[in-house]
Amino acid sequence: MSRVILSVLGQDRPGILAAVSGVLYRKNGNIENVSQTTLQTQFAGIFIASVPETVSLAELTAALEKALGPLGMNVHVDPLDLSAEAVPPVKSEPFVITTKGPDRRGLVAEITAIIARYNVNITNLQAIFKGGENPGDNIMIYEVDIPADTSRQSLHRELRDKAAALALDISIQHRNIFMTLHRI
Amino acid sequence: MIRFSLLHLREGVNDDMLTEKEIISTVEMLKNEHLDVRTVTLGINLFDCASHDLDRMTDNIYHRITGHASRLVPVCDQIGEKYGIPVVNKRIAVSPIAIVAASLSSSQMTALARTLDSAAGAVGVDFIGGFSALVEKGIARGDRALIEAIPEALSTTERVCASINVASSRAGINMDAILMMGKTIKRAADCTADADGLACAKLVVFSNIPPDVPFMAGAYLGVGEADAVINVGVSGPGVVKKAIDRALSENPDLDLGQLSDLIKKTAYRVTRVGELIGREVAEELDIRFGVVDLSLAPTPNVGDSVGEIFQSLGLFSIGVPGTTAALALLNDAVKKGGAFASTRVGGLSGAFIPVSEDLNISEAARQGHIGLDKLEALTSVCSVGLDMVAIPGATPAETLSAIIADEMAIGVINHKTTAARLIPVPGKAAGDHAYFGGLLGEATIVPVNQGHQPNRFVRRGGWIPAPIHSLKN
Repeated sequence: MSRVILSVLGQDRPGILAAVSGVLYRKNGNIENVSQTTLQTQFAGIFIASVPETVSLAELTAALEKALGPLGMNVHVDPLDLSAEAVPPVKSEPFVITTKGPDRRGLVAEITAIIARYNVNITNLQAIFKGGENPGDNIMIYEVDIPADTSRQSLHRELRDKAAALALDISIQHRNIFMTLHRI
Repeated sequence: MIRFSLLHLREGVNDDMLTEKEIISTVEMLKNEHLDVRTVTLGINLFDCASHDLDRMTDNIYHRITGHASRLVPVCDQIGEKYGIPVVNKRIAVSPIAIVAASLSSSQMTALARTLDSAAGAVGVDFIGGFSALVEKGIARGDRALIEAIPEALSTTERVCASINVASSRAGINMDAILMMGKTIKRAADCTADADGLACAKLVVFSNIPPDVPFMAGAYLGVGEADAVINVGVSGPGVVKKAIDRALSENPDLDLGQLSDLIKKTAYRVTRVGELIGREVAEELDIRFGVVDLSLAPTPNVGDSVGEIFQSLGLFSIGVPGTTAALALLNDAVKKGGAFASTRVGGLSGAFIPVSEDLNISEAARQGHIGLDKLEALTSVCSVGLDMVAIPGATPAETLSAIIADEMAIGVINHKTTAARLIPVPGKAAGDHAYFGGLLGEATIVPVNQGHQPNRFVRRGGWIPAPIHSLKN
């Protein structure tokens, strides 16, 4: 069996997962893992699947396009390269960075630039745009892993300075506090 | 055939994913509702510092305190920073000095107080409690020396706090001690007349004092505790008030049972913060974690008031009819939420009603909505007592003793802790304004009913026996 990674994008509607799993069934394949999300009206799904060696990438792609095309979905297929060693996980601590303030150009770009410079990985990003009556209430939530050897003080300071320059309220808190407060 | 491995199917989704609501409400509590860890208090045992030689003893004590507490402030700040939740105060509580220094004279006790003060200053804490004595069954020599030293000790030091336990449900009420304390409070006020009697703001008289209160001025390290302990005081009257306001704006017809439940859940969250931060501070300092004291303790900052909670619940002001019932509801809900949230809840845990430290209560007193009588009634259902109550400077010592005796009786009969922190403001009368500064706030002086009349009852002294239901064996 060879493994592939499928990404499916398009307007959300019933039938998408049925179409994908149907194709894999007919090709004697297997879905090993799936992650899907919807953002406003758009569906995005990533599938890790295995198919018999006899099924070529081209054949699989054609079959998927045939099933998903009529649904208005785009599909992309790549071989999953497991020979590339997974990067050994760096010892890190999970933090949550929250910014609140008026939406503006560069908001995400400037904050994420600092985060990237410190080799911090963003594990989840949520944008809550309240907009409307209260434009000051736009909230961005960055869940990040900060490597243990990072200078947290320096990172915090840069983020606070940048937040001030962008007229944002910023909070930087270790993830434990959220779990402690809301989970028994 | 498709084989779905059910285990793997959800691998991509983290079961512990935080929801948007959880994140936002946590940040809100911190930013706008004054959620904070009110105090991390390091308890330090001084019993083995005792010596006949004063210099040796003060030396031992100074080194013990500065040794144990050297990292207290930076570690608290570091962990506060990690969670974005400030540890507002770092404090120290020591073993009752009357016992530690039982062999010392009064003036030597005062010198020792100065050592405590400078040790506290050296490590950067703002208050050190434990200049204390336990006299519910009688006044020993060391106890007497300490009590006599109190006025000078508290007026010549900045950070030292004193507490005297004069009654317990098991032992009864030591009226001789209460008479002594009435005089002591007067003297302490006179020694700090130019500061509106500030020394009295650092002195509390207790019944049934808990051994592990992290809040001042009653904090001391109880007999029976080990070498060192970290106790945490969490507070969040603003968080509770905002939670009530939010719930009522969505549903104005919530009944008292539902509001009690809401307060309980909010208290749970606030206590969890204290538990988390306290445990990490303790772990980082390699000191045993003791208790979380969940007390709604106000500060004179806007939005950090217990008094306002009464208004949110629907009363015109703290002090009007319904206040006692409301406080009973509040205090109990806080205790329940706190109890569930922590492995060990201790100290006072409940709602405080310090008159000067709460903008709303202070204003209510100024307007005449609440006076000494209602405050006394409230102490039967809340966790402390007559706290930071400014009374006329001319109030005689025996009236002070009588007020204290009333408080002690409420505590002893009801098997609860009660206390009195009374401040007779020299040279000022009812209606005048007293200013203590910082966290101690400011207050309007409340009248005392017939306070100037002689009090032959308390002057009889002796000992009011323990109530019959204390015979529990």
